[in-house]
Amino acid sequence: MGVFVFLPLVLPLTAWPVARLAEQHLHPRTATRLLTGVAAVMAVCSTVCLGLLMVVGTAQLPGNPLPDGWSDPEVREAVPYDEVVGRAAIPALCVVALACARTLWRHGRTRRRAHRALAGLPRTEVAVLPDATPYAYALPGGRRDRIVVTTALLDRLEPAERRALFAHERAHLAARHHRHLLAVQLAARANPFLRPLRTAVAYTAERWADEDAAQKVGSRRTVARAIGRAALVSRAAPPAAFVGFAGFAAPGPVPRRVAALLGPAPLGRRWPSVFTTVGLAAWGAAAGTAVSAMSSANSAVTMIFILHAATPL
Amino acid sequence: MLSALRDAGGPATAGWVQERLGSDLAYTTVITILTRLLAKGAVTRERVGRSFAWLAVADQAGLAARKMRRVLDAEGDRGAVLASFVTGLGPDDERLLRELLGQSRDALGESGDALGRSRDALGQSGDVPGQSRDALGRSRDGGED
Repeated sequence: MGVFVFLPLVLPLTAWPVARLAEQHLHPRTATRLLTGVAAVMAVCSTVCLGLLMVVGTAQLPGNPLPDGWSDPEVREAVPYDEVVGRAAIPALCVVALACARTLWRHGRTRRRAHRALAGLPRTEVAVLPDATPYAYALPGGRRDRIVVTTALLDRLEPAERRALFAHERAHLAARHHRHLLAVQLAARANPFLRPLRTAVAYTAERWADEDAAQKVGSRRTVARAIGRAALVSRAAPPAAFVGFAGFAAPGPVPRRVAALLGPAPLGRRWPSVFTTVGLAAWGAAAGTAVSAMSSANSAVTMIFILHAATPL
Repeated sequence: MLSALRDAGGPATAGWVQERLGSDLAYTTVITILTRLLAKGAVTRERVGRSFAWLAVADQAGLAARKMRRVLDAEGDRGAVLASFVTGLGPDDERLLRELLGQSRDALGESGDALGRSRDALGQSGDVPGQSRDALGRSRDGGED
């Protein structure tokens, strides 16, 4: 097996071009689902790989409670630099577990607190808050799904644009976009190489909701205007991380969303034909990802088999 | 009774309301009126210890807004949990956005309008017609370039 054992750890790098292509060429719905699936599979494979490396590399060391048989010399032969890698895998696994637990905990806490903040209001779907800061978001909560919007934002939108805003947030809730977002966040915690997928899914989920909203209100331009206006009035400072690269910054997500809405509607078909340039790129990317994921899984399964064979149970 | 509750600036007990009104309303009368207002949806109440704390509904919305702000401020990476309608604009995004919206003929004036209003909101200067007209004109100039 040799260095192929480490493949699941670095294969997520292949997700970068895939994310880029899917974001630009696929229907946002397809892109969101595809990229979330890819991120989840690659994250699981990468974590399983880390776990196996840890077991193989360190089981034979005195003081490790795992059965020594799990790291027989034959098993260790499959892993280059087994001891170094095994020792390195322990803190890596701890970091992954802690980061994922923290993400889950923060997600739950924020949702709980937001629901608690709205507890005193009438139980309507839309909660309008009297606040001078313009913002709006979808707050998922099973049957208690809510749309939170401030008067400051509503005052600045025209009736048609308000309808676009509500349609957009309802689309988020109806398609349970928060699950996609949480999945890619956890994946990005499990393997930092998957971070571009998180950014890509955050964008494609917004685009998905934009397209749904455009269909609901029957005008792509109205949705574009609502987004543009909301962005201009709520003009928050960009995330600190991007400030340093301002000179090289690609256009942010909001102008890209508006530009996409002012352009032609994306094709409703799930997949473009293979015989177009776009189709070729999309299919190529999808096939590449599938192969990557398969070989990730393959490495993990092979190692499990080796361990199973070597375990005197 | 409602204005007394609104003046309270937070949840108030029936005893406080009675004192505040200063008239010779009996405590039970105050409770009865509050309960009727509750049925109409004009006030809400929450249990505090053995009695209720009452709150005017307009206040309730303000209270919810303040609580929500606290939740959002505590959440440094807002986008991480709640998918908000729009995210922050980068340094070049604003210009790009105006150009995009300027492409559609009718949106030009409106985007300028939005600019003026947002300027007002930022400066908290209220309605200064000159300022917003100025902003509108400038954005028109920008759009025609």
